Amino acid sequence: MENKWKFGIRPKITIGYIIIIVCLFASVIILNNQIRSLQQERNFLLQYNNKVETLTNNVEKFVMDMQAGQRGFVITGNEIYLEPYYKAAGEWQIEFKELYQLMADKPDQQQKLQVVRETTDLWIEEAGENAIRLKRDNDDAAIQQFYANDRGREYMQSIRNQFNDFRESEREIAQVRAEELDKQNNNLTGGLFGLLLTVSIIAIVISSQVSKSIVRTINDVTQTIKKIASNNGDLKERIHVNTNDEINELANATNDLLDNLDGREWLQTNLAEIVTKYQGVASIEALAKVFMSEIAKMTNSSSGAFYVREIEDNRNHFIKNASFADNNFEKDIGRESFRIGQGLIGQCVQEKQTFIFNEIPEDYRYISTGLGEVPPRSIFIVPILFEGDVIAVMELATMSEYSKLQQDLVKQIVETFGLSINSVIGRMEIIRLLNESRAMTEELQVQSEELQTQSEELQMQTEELTQINEQLEEKTKDAETKNKELEKIRKELEEKAEQLTLHSNYKSEFLANMSHELRTPLNSILILSEMLAENDQGRLTDEDAEFANVIHSSGEDLLSLINDILDLSKVEAGKLEVLFEEVNLSELPQHMEHVFSPIAQKKNLEFHIFKEDDVIDLFFTDEKRFQQILKNLLSNAFKFTEEGSVALTIKQIENQLQTEEMRAISKDWLEVTIADTGIGIPADKHELIFETFQQADGATVRKFGGTGLGLSICKQFARLLGGWITLQSEEGVGSVFKLVVPSLPNGLILDKHLNIDYSEVAVTQSSYEPSTAFVSDLARLDVQKQTVIEKDEVLVSLHDHTNVFQNKNILIVDDDYRNIYALKTALEKRGVNILVAKDGIECLDILQDNTEIDIVLMDIMMPNMDGYEAMYRIRNDLQLKELPVIALTAKAMKNDRDKCLEAGASDYISKPLNLDQLFSVLRVWLVS
Amino acid sequence: MDKQGENMKLEEVYKQHEDLEIDFLLEAIYRLSGFDFRQYNRSSISRRIHNRMNINGIETVTGLLEKVIHEEHFLESLLNDFSINVTEMFRNPSFFKTFRKEVVPILRKYPEIRIWHAGCATGEEVYSMAILLEEEGLKDKAVIYATDMNEQVLEKARKGAFPIQKMQAYTKNYMLAGGNYAFSEYYKADDQYAYFHPSILENIIFAQHNLVTDQSFNEFHVIICRNVLIYFTADLQEQVQHLFYESLSPQGFLGLGDKETLRFSQVTEKYQEIAGNERIYQRV
Repeated sequence: MENKWKFGIRPKITIGYIIIIVCLFASVIILNNQIRSLQQERNFLLQYNNKVETLTNNVEKFVMDMQAGQRGFVITGNEIYLEPYYKAAGEWQIEFKELYQLMADKPDQQQKLQVVRETTDLWIEEAGENAIRLKRDNDDAAIQQFYANDRGREYMQSIRNQFNDFRESEREIAQVRAEELDKQNNNLTGGLFGLLLTVSIIAIVISSQVSKSIVRTINDVTQTIKKIASNNGDLKERIHVNTNDEINELANATNDLLDNLDGREWLQTNLAEIVTKYQGVASIEALAKVFMSEIAKMTNSSSGAFYVREIEDNRNHFIKNASFADNNFEKDIGRESFRIGQGLIGQCVQEKQTFIFNEIPEDYRYISTGLGEVPPRSIFIVPILFEGDVIAVMELATMSEYSKLQQDLVKQIVETFGLSINSVIGRMEIIRLLNESRAMTEELQVQSEELQTQSEELQMQTEELTQINEQLEEKTKDAETKNKELEKIRKELEEKAEQLTLHSNYKSEFLANMSHELRTPLNSILILSEMLAENDQGRLTDEDAEFANVIHSSGEDLLSLINDILDLSKVEAGKLEVLFEEVNLSELPQHMEHVFSPIAQKKNLEFHIFKEDDVIDLFFTDEKRFQQILKNLLSNAFKFTEEGSVALTIKQIENQLQTEEMRAISKDWLEVTIADTGIGIPADKHELIFETFQQADGATVRKFGGTGLGLSICKQFARLLGGWITLQSEEGVGSVFKLVVPSLPNGLILDKHLNIDYSEVAVTQSSYEPSTAFVSDLARLDVQKQTVIEKDEVLVSLHDHTNVFQNKNILIVDDDYRNIYALKTALEKRGVNILVAKDGIECLDILQDNTEIDIVLMDIMMPNMDGYEAMYRIRNDLQLKELPVIALTAKAMKNDRDKCLEAGASDYISKPLNLDQLFSVLRVWLVS
Repeated sequence: MDKQGENMKLEEVYKQHEDLEIDFLLEAIYRLSGFDFRQYNRSSISRRIHNRMNINGIETVTGLLEKVIHEEHFLESLLNDFSINVTEMFRNPSFFKTFRKEVVPILRKYPEIRIWHAGCATGEEVYSMAILLEEEGLKDKAVIYATDMNEQVLEKARKGAFPIQKMQAYTKNYMLAGGNYAFSEYYKADDQYAYFHPSILENIIFAQHNLVTDQSFNEFHVIICRNVLIYFTADLQEQVQHLFYESLSPQGFLGLGDKETLRFSQVTEKYQEIAGNERIYQRV
C-alpha cells in the first residue's frame, strides 16, 4: 500500500486548478501574441505606406527640382540654377533605391518603378543634360529647337503618370492589407470565445471528476460506519476503499481502530467467559482442567500443562493438576512436578515473569498429532500470582505464534486467576474441615448412642445379675429357710385367698348395702305413691291420682333399673339371667301410652303409637329387658325433644326382608322404631353414644342431664335378646332408633357370635367416665360408680404385683367438690394419700410446707388463683422444677394446652376424666 | 524414645492385624446371615466388637469369629450388638413440629400417602409419626412402611409397648412437638410398660429390610431415616442416599437425623432444604 503511488485529494484538486490556470495562461499568451502581431502588422503597414509615400514624393520632388533647375539655368544661364539640379540628380537615385528595395516583395511595383527610373534617366539624358550643354554652348537655336519639340515635357508627363500609377497600385495593395488585418481581427475574436469555452469545459470536467472520486469514497466510508453502528456493535465489519488517498487513510485508521476494539472486545468477552466457566468449581483439579481447556481454546494452543504449588517439608513443589493436548492419544503430557528454578518453567516461577519463547530449545518435546510429532513454534509460560507469591504456573505451546492479543488475554486472565485458585483452595479446605467436623459430629452421635445402649445394657445386666445373685442366694439357703419360705408362701397364699374372700365379701356387702340404701328411700316413695294413687279419700283429682300412679310406676322402673345396674356386674361375669317367655304384644301400645303420655303432655309433644296389624300377638322374649329397652329409648326421645313429636312404631319384619343369618335364628323378627324430632346426634357420635356413660357432648349433659348409661344398657340388652339397635340421626332434625329382636321360644343358643358380644360388653364396661356421674341422677350414678370401682379394685389387686400408688401423696387442686370427691374416692382405693386444695393459693401453701407431694393434679378454672398461675409459681417461685404437675383441661381447647405447657405443666389430661387414662398418667409420672 | 517408637510400631502392627480380623469377621457375618456391616463406620463396629469380647471374655477377634461360626445363636446375639437401637418418641420434637407445619399441609392434598420409615428400630418414631398423622386427620389415607434389618427390634415395635420410665420424656417431647391432645389418650400403662392403643398400629406395616443390601420396594411421598446413616461409611451413605432418591416421588420429602446432612452428597442438588435446620429435604 505504501509502495503504491499515492494520489491524494490535495494534488487532485491542485492539479485540477493548475490545468485550468495553465489553460487560461495559454489562452492569454496566444491572444496576446495575436493582438501584438496584429498591431505590428498594422504599424508596419502604416509606416510602410508613409515611407513609400514619402519616398515616392521625394523622388518626384527631386525630378521636379531637376526640371526647375534646368529651366532656370536655360533661361538665365546662371549657374546658380544648376546647383539644385545637380543636387537632385545626385540624390534621387538614393531615394529611389530605397523605394525600390521596399518593393522587393512586389515585383509589379518594382517594374513600375523601373519604368519610372528609365523614364527619368531618359529625361536627364535627353532633356536635362542636353539643354544645359546647349545653354553652355550658347547654342540658343538648338535651344530654341530643342524646346520646339520639347521632349522633356513628354518625359516629365510620363513620370508623373507613372508615379500616379505607382501610387494607385500602392494604395490598392494597402487596401488589401487592411482588409486582411480586419479579417485577422475577426478570427482573433472568434478564437477568444472558442478558448473560453474550451477552458470552461475542461474546468467543469476536472472538478466533477475530482469531487466524484472524493465523495464516492467518503460515502463508502460513511456507509460502512453506519453499518457498524447499526449492527449492534458487531465489530467484524471493515471499511474497504479502493482509492489511495486520505479517505483510504481514514478508512485504514478506522479499520485499525475497529481491529483494536474488536481485539479488546474479544479480550473482555473471553475474560468474562472464562470467569463464568470456573465459577462454582469446587476442586482445584476441576478448576485447573476447566481453566486449561478454556485457555487453550482461546489461544489456539496445541498443548499445555497446569501446575499448582504444594508445600511439603517447607519446600515448594509444583504439582501438575491438569494438562491439555488437542488430541487424545496422549492425555498425560508434561512432567509431573518440578521445583523452583528447575528448567525454564522453574525459572519462570523464580523470576515471577511471563516467558515467551519463539526459538524452541532443541530438547523440547514435540507436540504429537495423529500422524506424527511436530515441534511447537512458540511456548508461553505464565506464573500465576497471589499476593506476590507464585501459587501456580501454566505452560502453553502452539504450532503457530501467540499474538499480542492472546498474550494480553492470558496475562489479564491470570491476574485474577490467582485469587480464584486461592479461593477454591480455601473452599476446599473449608469443605474438608466441614466434612471432618461432620464426621466428628456423627462419630460423637454414634458414640453417644452406643454409650446409651451400653448403659442400658449395663443396667439390664445389673438387673439380671442382681436377680441371679438373689436366685443364687435363695438356692444356697438351707432346707430350713426353704421350709420357712414355703411356709411364708403358703401363708401369703392364705392371706391372698383371705383377701380375695374379703374383697368378694366387700363386694357382696357393698351391693347389699347399696341395694338396701337405695331401696329404703325408694320403698317409701313406692308405698306413698301407691297410697296416693288409690285415692281412698277422693281428695285428689283424677289427674293427681294418675300422677301418683306415674310416680309409682316410675319408682318401680327406677328400682328395676337399680337391679339392672346390679345386674350389669352379672353381665360382665356372664351371669345375667335372661328369661324368654311368652309376651303379649297387643298390650304393649297401651302400656307405653300409659307411661309416656303424661310426659308428652307436660312437654307439649305429640306422641304417636303405631302397631301394624300383622304383628303377631304372642312373641317370645324377655319382657322385662324388652320393655326396659323401649322405655329407655322413649324416655331418651322425650328428653331430647323440645318440640314436635315422638313416634313408636311396631312392625314385623317380612320374611323376604330377613337375611340368611336372621332366618337361622328365628322366623319372627320384630322391629320397633322410636322416632323423634329432637336435637339429633352428629354422625361422628353415633358409635360413641352406645358406649357407657357417653352422650353426644358435654353440653348435652349440662342441658338434659342423664347418665349416658341408658343406651349402653339398651344395646347390651338388645344383644342379650338376640337382636340389635340401629340409629339414624341428623343433628337438629331428629333421631330414629330401631330395635330389632327375634322371637325365641327356646331362648338364645349361646353361639360364637354371642360370645363375642359378651366380651365386647365387658370391654365397654371397663372403660368409663366417672366425672360426669355427679351431674344428675346421682343415685343411679353412685350405684354404677361404686360397682365399677369395686370391680376395678379387685382387678388391680389381682394384676398389680407392686402397687405404685401405695402411700403416694397426691395433691388435688380443684374448686368443685364433686370432682374432688370422685378423684379422691377412686385414688384412695389404691392406697393414695390425698391432699386437697380449693384454689391455687392453697395449693402453693401446701406445697411450701409439704415436701412429700408426689404429684399435683391441677384444675385450671379456679377462683382466686387459676391453674396456670399456680403452675407458673410452682415452677418459678417455689422452684419445684421436677414435681409432676398434671393439668386437668377442657377437651377441645388447644389453646389451653399450649398455655399449660407454657405455665410448666408436666402433662395434661382432658376432662371429663377417664379413670383408665388417669391411672396410666399417674403411673407414668410416679415412676422414678 | 526408641522404646516408645517401638511400642508405637507394635501398636500399629496390632491394629493392622485386628483390622484384618474384623474384615474376616464382617465377611463371615455377611456370608452367614446376609447382614452386611462391611461398609459400616469401622470405629463404631470395632467398639461394639470389643464390647462383646469384654462381656464374653474373649481375647481376640478371631476368637469371636470362631464362636460366630461354630457356636449356635452366638451370631444372633452379636448381630443384636451391632444394631444400635437408640430412639425416642418424637425424638427432636422440633423435627416433628416442623413436619406438622411444613410437610403435612402438602401431604394433605394427596389422595394417598406412603411413608417409609427406614431403620425404625423399636418403632418409637413410627408411632410418633402415626400419632401425628392421626391428629392431622391423615391416618386413614396414609400407609407407613416401617423397616429395620433387625427382626427382633421389629417384633418389639409391633407390640407397641414402651418402658414406662421413658414416658415422662416422651410426654415432654409430644407436647414440644405440638401434640393436639393429651398424650395419655394414646396409651394405657401398667407398672412396666405403656401400651399404645392398637388403633395406632393400623396402617403401619413393619417389615424387615436392609438398607445396605436391599433395593427399593415402592415409591414414597415421605422417607424418614434418622440417625441411621451416621453408622455408615461415606460411600455407603452415598449409596443409601441414591436409594432414597430413587424411592422418593417427585416433590417427596426426606427426613434425616439432626446430625446428618445432605450437604456433601452427590444428590444435594436434587433436594431443597425446607424450614431451616430440621433436616427435612424436598426433592426438586
